[in-house]
Amino acid sequence: MNEKEMLYQKRLERYMTAMDCGKPDMVPVAFGVGEWITKYTGTTLQEIYYDLDKSNNVVSEMLPGLDFDIFKGGPALWWPPMFDAMGSKLYKFPGMGVDENSTFQFNEQEYMKADDYDEFIASPTEWLVNHYLPNISTELENPGSYRSTVALIKGAAAFAMQGGIMAAAWGKWTMENGIVGQGTGFTKAPFDTLGDALRGMKGVLLDLRRRPEKVLAACDAITPHNVNCGLAGAGADTRFPCFVPLHRGAYPFLNPKQWDTFYWPSLKATIEGMWAKGKRMLFYAEGDWTPYLEKIAELPDKSIIFQIDTTDAKKAKKILGGRFCLQGGVPTTLLTYGTPEKVKEHIKRTFDELACDGGFILDTGGVVMGDAKKENAIAMIEAARKYGIY
Amino acid sequence: MLTDALSIAIAELEEEQVAGLVKERLDSGVSPLEIVNSLQQGMAEAGSRFETGEYFLGELIMCGEIMQDSMVILEPLLIGSNAEYKGSIVMGTVKGDIHDLGKNIVVMLLKGSGYNVIDLGVDVSKEKFIEAIKESNAPLVGMSVLLTGCQESMKETIEAIRAAGLNTKVLIGGNYIDDIVKDYVGADYSAQAATDGIKVADEIFSV
Repeated sequence: MNEKEMLYQKRLERYMTAMDCGKPDMVPVAFGVGEWITKYTGTTLQEIYYDLDKSNNVVSEMLPGLDFDIFKGGPALWWPPMFDAMGSKLYKFPGMGVDENSTFQFNEQEYMKADDYDEFIASPTEWLVNHYLPNISTELENPGSYRSTVALIKGAAAFAMQGGIMAAAWGKWTMENGIVGQGTGFTKAPFDTLGDALRGMKGVLLDLRRRPEKVLAACDAITPHNVNCGLAGAGADTRFPCFVPLHRGAYPFLNPKQWDTFYWPSLKATIEGMWAKGKRMLFYAEGDWTPYLEKIAELPDKSIIFQIDTTDAKKAKKILGGRFCLQGGVPTTLLTYGTPEKVKEHIKRTFDELACDGGFILDTGGVVMGDAKKENAIAMIEAARKYGIY
Repeated sequence: MLTDALSIAIAELEEEQVAGLVKERLDSGVSPLEIVNSLQQGMAEAGSRFETGEYFLGELIMCGEIMQDSMVILEPLLIGSNAEYKGSIVMGTVKGDIHDLGKNIVVMLLKGSGYNVIDLGVDVSKEKFIEAIKESNAPLVGMSVLLTGCQESMKETIEAIRAAGLNTKVLIGGNYIDDIVKDYVGADYSAQAATDGIKVADEIFSV
């Protein structure tokens, strides 16, 4: 085993131990190279998004010399050409719909209408192919047409190309730096599939009053697909958790009764469905989930890693600690408005409060965007190593 | 405590009941302005229920939707009825950010409270903010931002407003907004909850 492979093994063990609520030799640290990197590389965000080689080179140059365990990836979450090939209306990308240095954004609309529920519930995939794809993509407006077929092939080819390029890049980063990828696979809470992508926030919130039974039936129909998505996307891998960004379940969108009735049962079923196959979920709880911690504690032990964004960290530790690994601890705004000294102080305090008996991974609370300062991101890693030894 | 049946109906989010009552009252000759006042009182009640934690965003959005549906009928009838606004407020999501859910809720609450809201939409340039403030002479401007990466453009907008010699008060809001951000961007007020905007507006316009 060479030096990097040994490093990889050590970090892997650290991650695995924490995930199982144990106490490794030191607190594992998660790190991603966010959009902030473009401020220091003389590139626009548009270049970083559209040119995967450029984006991957920026990451390759950044990684050597940084001592952390778990890698969350580079600055570009999506590769826009795939969306462009289909004329997708779903996103605005840097330089395409928003300023060249503004981040990508989701164009939320009621792509599924209230009248579509029955057909969707009867066969979700069929409805998506026949109606959703034409609704969200200018090139797919006429299914079966020459134009639509070509666009589908182009989109699929772009998806495969991106997969190939990114797999090679991750292989290189892992081999050269001995870092461990955070997760494998991706899925969503069924209510979020409905509320984010299909009905939109306003649509789904009004549905809760106007047609609650349809919302429940739709969530039930989505659940097996989302379980499968989390498992199949990851191939056979069950070592690493499946990434699940959670949205509409954050406080204060839904009242507690709505949360219990509409959000939680299908999410719980998704988690349990994956856990039955040994697949854990990175429960990426964006925003504040404090009022729902007791419910989340009903899950099978270790079936999730709970991400702390603006959730009350002490309460999360008290209610979930010991049974579920916790991840987070660093507010994203601290990396923007703080100083390296403030970051270090904060991390020392975070370790005292959250890491003491293990089952903890240090990470930023939410997604770190272009506003963060590099010196603060580096300070976070350094402080973690300084204060993180058990 | 609310006593008016229409105010109660909208506060309780009884959509069909509100529609029925609005129609009934119009038919029996009640002035559109009086009907709007009843609706506003009910909305204010929904706002206070949100503050006390009884209502969540889902309820506020529903309430706004009912109000909006009622206004489709009432607004054309209000022309010439000397409806008086408490004052004008300019609102928008700052340049670079296209999120509008939070902003729309605040706009709806402010309108429901009797303010004239000039809603500039999303991805609003500093020039547009300045133009709208000058045109309306609004003493308050509300800026919304979700993405932390766009907080910088909030700062630039506020600096431009000041450089243009306007002393309009600036209220900012958004998920990652706190006092640190408020001080950094140079705003006068920051809002953490949807109903904070009304409190700030009432404070400014009561002077």
